[in-house]
Amino acid sequence: MPHYAMLIDAARCTGCAACRIACQMQWQLPPEIFFNRLEFREQGKYPHVQQEIVPVQCMHCDHPPCATVCPTQATYKRDDGLVLIDESKCIGCKYCVVACPYDVRQVNERGIPEKCRFCAGHIENGGQPPCVTTCMNTVRVFGDLDDPDSEISRQMKEKNVYRLAEYKGTKPRVFYVKNGG
Amino acid sequence: MWNISRRTFLKAGIAAGAACAAPVAFDFKSFVKGSAESQVDRIPSTCNGCSSNCAMFVYVKNGRLWKLEGIPGAMRNEGTLCARAYGVAADIYNPDRIKQPMKRVGEGNQFAPISWEQAFKEIAEKLTKIIDKNTGNSVAWMAHGGKETYAQMLLDEIGAATYITHYSTCFTAKTNAWDKMIGAQLTSDMDRSNYMLFAGRNYAGAVMPGAMRRIMRAKKRGAKIIVVDPRLCELAKVADEWIPIRPGTDLAFFLGLAHTLIIEKLYNADFVAKFVFGFEEFWNANKTFTADKAAAICDIPADKIRSIAREMARNAPASFLEPGYHGLHNHYVSSTQIAQANVIVNALLGNFYQHGGLMPSAAPKFGKLSLPKRLQPEKGPRADGAGVRNEYPTVEPGRGIAQNMPELIAQGKIKAVFIYHYNPLRTAPDPEYQKKIANAELVVSIPIDWNETSVYAAHYILPEHYFLERLETPKSLSGNIAYDYPQVVMRFPAIKPLHDTKSLLDILKGLTAAMKIDDLFPFTVEEEAEAMLRPLNISIAKMKETGCYELPDPVRPGFPMIDGKPAGNSTTGKVEFSIGAFKLHGRQGVPVWIPPLVSPKEDNEFRLIHGKQPWHSHSVTSDSRYLMAISDSYHGSWLWMNSVRAEKLGIKNGDTVTVEANIRYGETSRKVSKTIPVKVTEMLHPECVWVPSGYGNFSPQAKFGYQKGINYNDFAAARVEPLSGSCMVQEVIVTIRKGGK
Repeated sequence: MPHYAMLIDAARCTGCAACRIACQMQWQLPPEIFFNRLEFREQGKYPHVQQEIVPVQCMHCDHPPCATVCPTQATYKRDDGLVLIDESKCIGCKYCVVACPYDVRQVNERGIPEKCRFCAGHIENGGQPPCVTTCMNTVRVFGDLDDPDSEISRQMKEKNVYRLAEYKGTKPRVFYVKNGG
Repeated sequence: MWNISRRTFLKAGIAAGAACAAPVAFDFKSFVKGSAESQVDRIPSTCNGCSSNCAMFVYVKNGRLWKLEGIPGAMRNEGTLCARAYGVAADIYNPDRIKQPMKRVGEGNQFAPISWEQAFKEIAEKLTKIIDKNTGNSVAWMAHGGKETYAQMLLDEIGAATYITHYSTCFTAKTNAWDKMIGAQLTSDMDRSNYMLFAGRNYAGAVMPGAMRRIMRAKKRGAKIIVVDPRLCELAKVADEWIPIRPGTDLAFFLGLAHTLIIEKLYNADFVAKFVFGFEEFWNANKTFTADKAAAICDIPADKIRSIAREMARNAPASFLEPGYHGLHNHYVSSTQIAQANVIVNALLGNFYQHGGLMPSAAPKFGKLSLPKRLQPEKGPRADGAGVRNEYPTVEPGRGIAQNMPELIAQGKIKAVFIYHYNPLRTAPDPEYQKKIANAELVVSIPIDWNETSVYAAHYILPEHYFLERLETPKSLSGNIAYDYPQVVMRFPAIKPLHDTKSLLDILKGLTAAMKIDDLFPFTVEEEAEAMLRPLNISIAKMKETGCYELPDPVRPGFPMIDGKPAGNSTTGKVEFSIGAFKLHGRQGVPVWIPPLVSPKEDNEFRLIHGKQPWHSHSVTSDSRYLMAISDSYHGSWLWMNSVRAEKLGIKNGDTVTVEANIRYGETSRKVSKTIPVKVTEMLHPECVWVPSGYGNFSPQAKFGYQKGINYNDFAAARVEPLSGSCMVQEVIVTIRKGGK
């Protein structure tokens, strides 16, 4: 069983939002629904200032609070690590929206709190998510952590990585490269 | 460690869900089910989001656009695509597209549908009358640029000289200087460079994905990336160093670099001796313009200027000052000299035609259709005066001067204007002035959507097929980024035309037939494409399979030589530091420091500068639903202001301000006043405010971008910089006060 994960090197991001819209096309989402957002921050004072841009999306947590709070098990964790939603079970209560520490759920036009699917249905046969392939700066790497030869396994070994809001105990499957890492 | 801020996503999500009619979306399950059953076609095309021609495959499911993928190996994008590609592709379904030919009726910008036949008949009658009365030279064709051939054939047939591109509102100062100094537009060899200096060039904002891939790779192998910009632009974010500069003073910075290279004997004396003409003239004129003098003007410390010059020299010839594009080259009274100084800094490094420095573009040698010769009337002088004695003799006639069309119409020089894939009412200075294009006897717009020019100026609107619906002749991928091998791309129709639109060639065939001009276009696009590809031994089928075809003959380094003598495409064959044509017309041949025309003085005065945001391309994308949604997510249309200046005026982040300027023409002056929210930032030089260039739409029929943000062109008069014809759009001071409607 593969162990899917993503590594994001935010220092490489220049904020073009191609990831967001490539994903919207892949999954035929309307303009207002998007599965990856950018957080922009300025550090320092002019002229000694740096910009930080952090792409944020569903972390596909190993301990997903959104699944824990879901009263109907509509949100579930697949064996390969993907956190998905069974729309037929969703009653639209939005507990998951509130529970997510990363604020990534968006209620779609059918009342379903949507989010990144790690491209379920597209990756199983080796396909790469469009947010990865469209990125000119190679911000993201996606792959199978159980495969020691995969690009993500190699980079995870080489680089200093961390996860967002680790103290929450959510154990995200999305990792970030530490600055200078 | 990054902390996530809780935001009002719940509220936003529900609101969006409720408001969204979602014509594009369908639910996930039926989508997956549908995917398994439906036919998916993959058709090669090139993006139309800007003019980079990124090569892509268009995936079409059941005849409907699904998604895009960049074509791997294409030098402009290497398999990736920026946001604009997806945004403009999705806009094939934009309800604001013009769905059939239209004719202006009555007052108040009202239009009524008209059949193609009737439109051709009426336009042909009017045009023929105008030509008979005023000669063909009273007809002008304005275009963004590209696909010149078809329009040119019509202009040649009727004897019209005035073909005008948008370039005078974009980058003519650059092409003019490079053409006159070396006769080539050289490109930066990022793949092999060790030191790259970018000033006025933001490849991550005015996105060219292939450039960013190269820059990121270069960074990884240890190359230095330095960005000089009044704003911490997107490229500066990933650079080794961001050096803010006082806007309007880039010429001083470049001259300071040149001075350091020469006075410290860091320049390539051998290259200068062999391949440079006019070195002494340049040095004599700039001997006293030291790095210290430059520093006092441009707000970059003299030591920094010197250290950059030294680093560049140490890495030469594998170092460059990026030649630039729109940034700086439409901006100041000194734009032409800025481009000249750019050539000079690079030539002093001896990086011309050198790996890691500046290389020529690899260009395939396309074939041509052989068409019967036609008897054609003589043309008069160009109406815009580009290249015309006693008017604008040093402006490139191949590009023209776009911003003065209303004046040419008022003077009676131009009676009929065709405007193809171009929107001067939004992209040229002073829209109120540009609206007067409507005063011509005949104005025909050939757009895809209800842009400002069509709504406020056109008498007839002839809608073109969307780019995903069009077959176009092959294009060369070259320019901007050095790449050794010629590459050919082609745009194939991916979607059947959705509306009653036509290709440009069919529009011109229909129009000329109605004018009783026989067989002016005796070919189809397929036939022309075949003729172009024949000498390259590529079939159309091969192009359709690969989307991007690379040819084996590489560009090799080395200054062009014939019989042991420099054979560049200039008068002397060398790099000419002094431009003879400028001297001939009473101007200085070499660049010397020229102060800005205007400068901010009071607490409430700022220079208005602009730049691109990575998800917009000027007005082309500003009615895109998906791209405008990105703008909405990130306050993309706000005006940027330095925090210290904002505090002085009591302005806080998100406050609305009133921006005002006086637009002057000679003795007359008109006040422009607009309101806009402010982003208070540390990422901007204090003397300016910055606006992204994709906003300020005022066509009510293009509703997704309507009245979002402001545009730099709102505040600038339509002026002409005399040497190159550019607009000097950043020679504008605005006053800003808190509050407004």
